[in-house]
Amino acid sequence: MLFPTTTFAIFFMLVLPLSWLLMPRGARWRPFMIAASYVFYAAWDWHFVLLLAFSTVWNHLFAGAINRRSDPRARRGLLGVAVAGDVALLGYFKYYDFFVTSTHNAFSYAGVDLPLEVRQIVLPVGISFFTFMAISYVVDTYRGDWQPAPFGKFATYLSFFPHLVAGPIVRPGELLPQFETPRDPRYVDTSRAFYLIATGLFKKVVIANYLASSIVDPVFGAPNQHSSLEVLVGVYAYAVQIYADFSGYTDMAIGIALLLGFRFPQNFDSPYAATSIQDFWRRWHMTLSRWLRDYVYIPLGGNRKGRLVTYRNLMLTMLIGGLWHGAGWTFVAWGAIHGTALATERWWRERPGFVERPWTPLRRGWHRFVTFQVVCFAWIFFRSDSFATAREVIVRLFTAWGEASPLVTLGVVAAIAAGIGSQYLPPRIPLAIMARFSRLHVAAQAVVLALALLATNSMGPEGVAPFIYFRF
Amino acid sequence: MSQTDQPRSRRHPEERWAEGGRRLHSAGAAVVVALGALGLGLLLNAPGIHKSASTQPEGWKRNVALALTGPLQDVSSALLLDRPRRALKAVLGRSSDDRIDTAVAIPTPQTKPAGSGTSPPPVARTKFTPEHKLRIWIAGDSLVIVPGESIERAAAGSPVLDPLAVDGRIATGLERPDLFNWFTHLRQVMKTKRPEAVVLMFGGNDDHDFMTGLPKGVTIGPFDSPTWIAEYRRRVGGLMDTITRAGGYVVWIGLPITADPAQTRRFDAINAIVQSEAAKRPGRASYLDTYFNFAGDNGGYAEYLPNDSGQLVKMRADDGVHFERPAGDLIAREVLHRLYQRYDLTSWRRRPSTG
Repeated sequence: MLFPTTTFAIFFMLVLPLSWLLMPRGARWRPFMIAASYVFYAAWDWHFVLLLAFSTVWNHLFAGAINRRSDPRARRGLLGVAVAGDVALLGYFKYYDFFVTSTHNAFSYAGVDLPLEVRQIVLPVGISFFTFMAISYVVDTYRGDWQPAPFGKFATYLSFFPHLVAGPIVRPGELLPQFETPRDPRYVDTSRAFYLIATGLFKKVVIANYLASSIVDPVFGAPNQHSSLEVLVGVYAYAVQIYADFSGYTDMAIGIALLLGFRFPQNFDSPYAATSIQDFWRRWHMTLSRWLRDYVYIPLGGNRKGRLVTYRNLMLTMLIGGLWHGAGWTFVAWGAIHGTALATERWWRERPGFVERPWTPLRRGWHRFVTFQVVCFAWIFFRSDSFATAREVIVRLFTAWGEASPLVTLGVVAAIAAGIGSQYLPPRIPLAIMARFSRLHVAAQAVVLALALLATNSMGPEGVAPFIYFRF
Repeated sequence: MSQTDQPRSRRHPEERWAEGGRRLHSAGAAVVVALGALGLGLLLNAPGIHKSASTQPEGWKRNVALALTGPLQDVSSALLLDRPRRALKAVLGRSSDDRIDTAVAIPTPQTKPAGSGTSPPPVARTKFTPEHKLRIWIAGDSLVIVPGESIERAAAGSPVLDPLAVDGRIATGLERPDLFNWFTHLRQVMKTKRPEAVVLMFGGNDDHDFMTGLPKGVTIGPFDSPTWIAEYRRRVGGLMDTITRAGGYVVWIGLPITADPAQTRRFDAINAIVQSEAAKRPGRASYLDTYFNFAGDNGGYAEYLPNDSGQLVKMRADDGVHFERPAGDLIAREVLHRLYQRYDLTSWRRRPSTG
């Protein structure tokens, strides 16, 4: 059930009033919300509901067991089993075939034909997101940051439909306390919710879909058929497409949760205005970045064990981040580019005699430009279906200047400019729009939103393309 | 707080404001705004919503959607609420988006004169050169996109091939011209772009009982019934004739084996129709069987297959139907092989130098 569909609109218009009606009675609200979330998830494939239920029971049992033990070794052992189970589940569904084919191919280079069987496993939607949330729950319990919640609350936390299939990756400490007390139905941040839903819809349905069909898909489908200008604009267009697609989805998720009375953490903060790769990762998919920081980078030693170990940890964290996005070597390469860039930036700042110069507009602009180019270079590997395609894209960037570029239209350039330009808007502008909207009469608010629906539906293509991040 | 104050404060709670001066509203107001926006949004977008309803797969969901969106469109039209959408579509140059065109415009089949049992005259092997390139148009449903892109990439290696952009349209086919009318579109493309070779792949969404655009008085039975086959055959043959009568050569890529054996059987039925129609047009149409390219050692579906150097590569997408790039490359090779057989694409290399 995709957010920008009539089916979801009907589902949500049933869930929203019922949720508020049941809210004062937590004992009824939680089963209702779990049921609603499972219906939402079952709309893809009801079999996967069993997987979500298994993950819920597994992690609840282990969190409880960890909490009951006081012996550090027993606690560590239980944590190890719990996380291993989560990783095994994710590994089986997401990486089994990748592992088998990679192993088979590595040995076949040496002339050894391993009798390994590919299982053709279907990837359950959202498994990467809810598995990471489950891991953070048991790890936080182990660290003593959090007392295990009753089963109903944990099941609601893990399955809550606004974040279920593509995040944001909400930490237990951010959502579970909100389940403790009923949300106050008198004070809902509706203007922010509607703003996020409307802009998220527009980003996904109009900007992302338009750029994908107009230039990104043709360029990455057959790079050698396109001029250097088309390839360059195609790469920039993909940067905007993936931002509009993913941030559009999470904006909608945050807005939908807000209408239900719950606050989710921010997931994007103008990532293409970043002045370094480190800054980029503080702004792009922020809930994944901090998950990787807290559950991978810091446990590996972070920056506490010397410079070389820090560089290694940065690289390992980004490689895991790359692999999290997809079972393919191009995703690993994407992670490696970011890991190398992060380590290089760190080395540059830590070299002897380095003095941080004050930020001037020119220097800030230059850093933003260079960072954006590095990010776009990495996106080439992320979007390409193979290294051969990535190589073709890169070669074509330099070898076909002066050829006709019919795909570079005014509409494409305008959509890219809007996608990047929107990230340089001062925050006071959206705040002012939301404030003004919030002061309108409810009837006027409905009219404004209906007009936004008209614009989105009329300008978007027929049908709805799947979200890029559903694959992850 | 007195007893009498409580109901008043519940009805008129103290106003609260969030960051940036946003006024917080009640949950009831949120429901009212959402319902109002959706209701008005439905009326404003009624023509598009009605088209979406009519293009759904046959079944109770479509019937319910049509029963609801038909009157919705009438109300929208009566209140002139459909005008803004029409105006916006016109500005965008997409006025036909909401139109439902079910006309199956195909040439009338040519009847052979009595006594002419002979086969048609052989087709000339036209020569193409870097100055006079072979224009290739690749079209079909979503299945054609990956092979089409592979054909484009492979064609880049030859200065005599000029592939047009791949025209792959998701969820379309020959059964449902209301969703996208390939018959009208193909005629326009043959007229305006004049491709000499047309690579088609259809049928991925056609393995159902339901067809729109049936001739007056014609009804069809279930999928693969004689009446269904007759109508589908008429459409496949009609597309082929539209191309061949405009002087084009058709390479029709057959549907592949899929992860679902029942779907594969349905695809086989469609393939049989296409294959027999292509056989009726020797030299003008060619059917490319893909079944065994993508079957495993046991003859069944395989997502991964060894490539030429023995490496296991992912051939099929996770949905068990669509292709991955290596599969597209395999099909592209076969398609180009057909084109090289049909046309003279190499003799230009032997021309004497003009130095």
